[in-house]
Amino acid sequence: MNVTFNTRDPVYVQVVRYFKEQIAIGNLKAGEEIPSRRELAEMLKINPNSAQRAYKEMEEEGLIHTERNFPSRITMDENILSSVREELIAEAVDAFVQSIVAINPSIEEVVELVKKKYEARKQGETT
Amino acid sequence: MIEVQNISKRFGRKQVLKEVSFTANKGEITCLIGINGVGKTTTLKAIMNLTPINSGKIFIDQEVIQKDTYEKITFIPDANIMPTWMTIREACDFMKDYYKNWNQQRADDLMRFFKLNETDRITELSKGNTAKVNLMLGLSLDVDYVLMDEPFSGIDIFSREQIAEVVTSHLIEDRGVVITTHEINDIEHLIDKVVLLDNGVVLKEFTTEEVRLTEGKSVMDVMREVYQP
Repeated sequence: MNVTFNTRDPVYVQVVRYFKEQIAIGNLKAGEEIPSRRELAEMLKINPNSAQRAYKEMEEEGLIHTERNFPSRITMDENILSSVREELIAEAVDAFVQSIVAINPSIEEVVELVKKKYEARKQGETT
Repeated sequence: MIEVQNISKRFGRKQVLKEVSFTANKGEITCLIGINGVGKTTTLKAIMNLTPINSGKIFIDQEVIQKDTYEKITFIPDANIMPTWMTIREACDFMKDYYKNWNQQRADDLMRFFKLNETDRITELSKGNTAKVNLMLGLSLDVDYVLMDEPFSGIDIFSREQIAEVVTSHLIEDRGVVITTHEINDIEHLIDKVVLLDNGVVLKEFTTEEVRLTEGKSVMDVMREVYQP
């Protein structure tokens, strides 16, 4: 587990995002056990209170479950898990749209370029 | 909770602390930041009653500091305090004889964590290892609050990383930690709360996650605003 944190977003927000990314790409699976708050803090070299707050946030969003005296686990609810993936994609596209709108190109031009770049990138990954 | 209320301190004609107030919670890491000579160490020593204050009050868990409250708190100075001819083991034995709240199990854990060799003599240690021995000795006391004076100053980056790591690890448990430093880079992600001091005055007190959440600012950003108006 290796995460680089920026200094301007709350650490707990960045931890939640990291977990969502891991869920979206399938590294964390439904029902999988996750580290304790203290273990997570040690692994990521963050403040245990930030780890605690991240877990609280994820519990409220239904991403993880904790039963008394047991380790926390990723939820078994497939609806929640698939919505995490959609949420991350939508967020990334929003950020992209926001920055591209400022330049004001035509949508066709943008889509064409996105396709080209995306395929080139994918190809680069496989070779 | 440690509550510092309006403490002032003069050394001769020099006013080093002026009505300084802040709180430090148990289970949290509070960082006193300021360039050298702004009263950080004096503040820690005042909490320990090593430096008597001219006015103000200090409470530890709602109690005025006195003999019993000392057993709740330890001060880790930035220099070696043990006779240098001692080995690390002998320094531990000395602490064990002197303090009834010495925890040998934790001392062993910390020595392992810091990769210290207990037969080494203090005089032969590098600066980084001297700092680690200092911390190991202080953290091995069973206390609720730990005051660390400049634990990161003048030592190499890897030792700094190790020390930062121990501060958030299970070896600290739920103790309250107060750290003084003028270097924030290594520990931005580790601290709960910041108290910015300048010229013996508290300029600002804030929690790191809140300032990131509500203002989108890093600790460094806030420091720039406060120290370079």
